[in-house]
Amino acid sequence: MSAEANAILEVRDLHTQFNTLDGVVRAVDGVSFELARGETLGIVGESGCGKSVTALSILRLIPPETGRIASGSIRFEGEELTSLSEEAMKRLRGHRISMIFQEPMTSLNPVLTVGTQIAENVTRHLGVSKRAARERACEMLDLVRIADAKRRLDEYPHQLSGGMRQRVMIAMALSCDPQVLIADEPTTALDVTIQAQILDLMLDLKEKTGTAIVLITHDLGVVAETAQRVVVMYAGRKVEEAPVEALFDNPLHPYTRGLMAAIPRLDTDAARLQEIPGMVPLLTKPIVGCAFAARCPIATDRCRAEAPPMVDVGGGHTALCWEVTS
Amino acid sequence: MTVLAVDKLVKHFPIHGGLLQRQVGAVRAVDGVSFTIAKGETLGLVGESGCGKSTVGKTILKLIEPTAGRIVLGSEDITALKPGAMWPHRKRIQTIFQDPYSSMNPRLPAGTIVGEPLENFDIARGRERDERVAALFERVGLRRDAMRKYAHEFSGGQRQRLGIAKALSVGPEVIVADEPVSALDVSVQAQVLNLLIDLQAEYGLAYLFISHDLAVMRHISHRIAVMYLGRIVELTDKRTLFAQPLHPYTEALLSAATAPDPRRQRRKKAIVQGDVPSPANPPPGCHFHTRCPYAVADCKVKDPPLREVAPGHHVACHLR
Repeated sequence: MSAEANAILEVRDLHTQFNTLDGVVRAVDGVSFELARGETLGIVGESGCGKSVTALSILRLIPPETGRIASGSIRFEGEELTSLSEEAMKRLRGHRISMIFQEPMTSLNPVLTVGTQIAENVTRHLGVSKRAARERACEMLDLVRIADAKRRLDEYPHQLSGGMRQRVMIAMALSCDPQVLIADEPTTALDVTIQAQILDLMLDLKEKTGTAIVLITHDLGVVAETAQRVVVMYAGRKVEEAPVEALFDNPLHPYTRGLMAAIPRLDTDAARLQEIPGMVPLLTKPIVGCAFAARCPIATDRCRAEAPPMVDVGGGHTALCWEVTS
Repeated sequence: MTVLAVDKLVKHFPIHGGLLQRQVGAVRAVDGVSFTIAKGETLGLVGESGCGKSTVGKTILKLIEPTAGRIVLGSEDITALKPGAMWPHRKRIQTIFQDPYSSMNPRLPAGTIVGEPLENFDIARGRERDERVAALFERVGLRRDAMRKYAHEFSGGQRQRLGIAKALSVGPEVIVADEPVSALDVSVQAQVLNLLIDLQAEYGLAYLFISHDLAVMRHISHRIAVMYLGRIVELTDKRTLFAQPLHPYTEALLSAATAPDPRRQRRKKAIVQGDVPSPANPPPGCHFHTRCPYAVADCKVKDPPLREVAPGHHVACHLR
């Protein structure tokens, strides 16, 4: 496919595991996807589906004391990241691949001014003078539409509102013109009017800079309005992937269908929400058959016994399900 | 039939400062809020962080004392009741929280936790209590044998069911539900919302449903009150609110909300800019004028009262 040739990031059969008191947790259990240049890819799923661990794996930020990438390949511009040295990874992070998190306060240093923190990233990766780095920081705050950027440079994170802190994080993440931005629930902690401002900003900046975005979220509404392609995850696996219109027009996997029927709508009055019965399976035991079988309304004996195939229905739309026909 | 009436409710939290810790100001968390809820009705209270919606809930529950205003439960004015006098009325108004786990003793089995109010209010003891608790467990969709499990053994959705069972145990008329599904995944959220709707139909419960999520609000509420900086800016039935919002802030909220529809264009949805001002120092006149795209000179000086502009449709805006 053309997307593959154009891919800036390729994740192949990624397995990431954690050692816990209850045994090995298979947080990501064989996930593959590609990110094309300049594209916004949404990764959507509920708590514990492995979407954040996928992001942390790409940046090799899995804490080595408890977790590891057990197998699989992550290629960024053709270069294999899983075997890259820590030194080389450090040169990559915050420079060619950047990340923003849900709670900016936990990733900003409370005792340094925001100007210093943005400038630090610029000096480290681009090796420019302190003065040039500060100018770049000011330019970045302007870019993320923080009013009175010059004055804000000398403020500390606690002096800023939640929305402004997220703007600072975006400014920092984009300060070295990354090719890929990974945004993990970037607006989840924000109020809806502020969320709208931040999403507007991210999409504007994407158009200006051409940065490809991996947007990780639990919110189908955010995905629908920002992503071009969507990966749906469940229990550490990719259960469906499609262009955004195809996914919402014609969801194929019973889990995706279930999610869409479970959300209350702004535009209509549904009589009753569809429930997805039961709970997500424990990831400490190997899953036999389909991970969703126990909650699936159309599961058969085969679903409970044999791992389902990834069925390709064309147009870049795939689903991990026995009951989907190509 | 009105079961809860709130009239011009005010709650100010003092701010102390200076060497002598004198009161130097006040956070005007709730600044004159009035509404009623009927038997079997859900009133949604929606707004962003710091708008005072949770403080309204806590004040009505008398977990904190109101600064001014009146709270009438049934025919009883409970505004000034001291804890002892309030006690018998606590059965009538119960609450469920966003995070029920924080209110559950980790060392007690779930059955004991849910049965506690039955003993506290002298409703049932011993075997009779156990029977009632078992029935409550089944009613909220938990198995009887789950009574022996501890809070940490339940999932988030199951804990919310426990919280609901506990609130139900004493047969309340009103339930204040503060963000009860905000911490839950959507598949579980649907289970809990459906349960709340079923219980309301069964027992004629009145809900004050506090949430920041407009889609959840639309699903569960009959009427919705929109709050901004301590005041209700718009109050009407849910259909009207979504079809014809009159207050610019309501319009901004609806425009900012995302919908699971990729064809709805996302371009430039933030029609208000900037952050919510501090409730310790709210802007004069209409609190919203600093972010309002339509504000005129009057808005900066004159406080718009909440007026009924159409039957049942109340709005606080000079321009409507």
